[in-house]
Amino acid sequence: MATAAVNPILSAGISLGDDLAEVAARLREVTVQVLCGPGCGSGVIWRPDGLIVTNAHVAQTPHPAVLVGGAGQFDAEVIAVDRRRDLAALKIRASGLRAAKVRDPVSLRAGELVVAVGNPAGMAGALAVGMVHAPQAGRAWIQADIRLAPGNSDGPLADAHGNVLGINSMVVAGLALAIPANRVQRFVDRLTI
Amino acid sequence: MASALVELSKALADAVEHAGGSVVAIKEGGRSGVSGTVWQEGVVVAADHTVRGREQLTVGLPSGQTTSATFAGGDPSTDLAVLKLGGGSVRPAEFADPRQMRVGNIVLAVARQGKHGISASHGVISALGGEWRTWHGGRVDQWLRLDLSPYPGFSGGPLVDAEGKVIGVNTSGPRRSVLTLPKSTVDRVVKQLLQKGRIIRGYIGLGVQPVAVSEALQKSLSLAQERALLVVNVARGGPADKAGVIVGDIILSVAGHEVGGAGDLLAQLDPESVGQAIPLRILRGGKPSDVKVTIGERGGE
Repeated sequence: MATAAVNPILSAGISLGDDLAEVAARLREVTVQVLCGPGCGSGVIWRPDGLIVTNAHVAQTPHPAVLVGGAGQFDAEVIAVDRRRDLAALKIRASGLRAAKVRDPVSLRAGELVVAVGNPAGMAGALAVGMVHAPQAGRAWIQADIRLAPGNSDGPLADAHGNVLGINSMVVAGLALAIPANRVQRFVDRLTI
Repeated sequence: MASALVELSKALADAVEHAGGSVVAIKEGGRSGVSGTVWQEGVVVAADHTVRGREQLTVGLPSGQTTSATFAGGDPSTDLAVLKLGGGSVRPAEFADPRQMRVGNIVLAVARQGKHGISASHGVISALGGEWRTWHGGRVDQWLRLDLSPYPGFSGGPLVDAEGKVIGVNTSGPRRSVLTLPKSTVDRVVKQLLQKGRIIRGYIGLGVQPVAVSEALQKSLSLAQERALLVVNVARGGPADKAGVIVGDIILSVAGHEVGGAGDLLAQLDPESVGQAIPLRILRGGKPSDVKVTIGERGGE
């Protein structure tokens, strides 16, 4: 007998929601909480050996505590800070961590969907969805039309595949500004560890 | 893995790219610049407030080339202006069918900024309304309420649907909101600006103020309306003056339409009305009578 007809639009909607949940879950795995005094920030696991990238304004103490979802709390060491780019590298003693998949944002187009994960007000792994506004405004930033809350910055900005495009750094006139992943990679490449 | 999310992302980026092919950057001294939408071959629509008072402008094309443009006319009442491109070939916008528009539709605001290329923001249509008038008396065919954030430089750029087809032209509304002028309104204004360089408005030469029509008066004259317009000023030599309207007259209806506010009177003064003799039903000394006023042109003579 004929099976019940499935509304193709509705099923597309369901798979859209499922896809988003999957991307969010993947992104949350690579996003850590950096405990830095009263507030706290986020960070992105850049390498499986425990290298974490965050904003310089988050790494205020030399040994911040870092919460890694599923792996518990670590004492991290701040190994490099670039105040001009607002980047910091932290290292935790770990191995075999799931690291972010990184996409070079040179191929990024205005209008692509983006997702952000962060820890606004201590809410771990909060998700926001938006759109690429200007891919690389002046090459220094990716501008995104996405609603970020304080604490949402320092976390990853990722594409529809969940590949990390950059580190959310600040909000200016409602636009989220992220440090492009290729710049972050250059910062990481200069580290001698 | 081609997920629905990835497909949607690609479709939206495609829509932005497609629409962006008809969006130009209007360069402004010192500022980051605003946008313009290529409405027809060589004709750019911009937000009037962004280009007012400038005869010659520099325009960045989607190809990356720069060309000059001349100001062909502007209409402060709808905040639309028309520029003519001095050179370069830009594909005119492709338009959406306004009848397909529904609350909940995804919409994109597309802009082009000089050095940063195309930019986009996204939102949804949150409500659709009927015809309305701007604070400056411009007639807009449909009220489009959006849930969409305006960012610097978006004025003059198009609002497009998820396929990149143009719904209208964006400009700034009060309190950091987006006002979208629908295609039919832009078409009407562009046509007039290209023909005359300005928007023709009817002129009657009256100052009016709404007043209540008393119940007794309603009853004695078998009127249904509760409000009418009291004439408080008559421009000497103006159309109403010539027709014999005097201060103190109460206007009940214009061309058969009851008038309870100044907007009702303005609504009868569209460009088509100029030169026409329209009947005014007035009340003078408690007695109704009719006068015919030949509508003049605002700023004419």
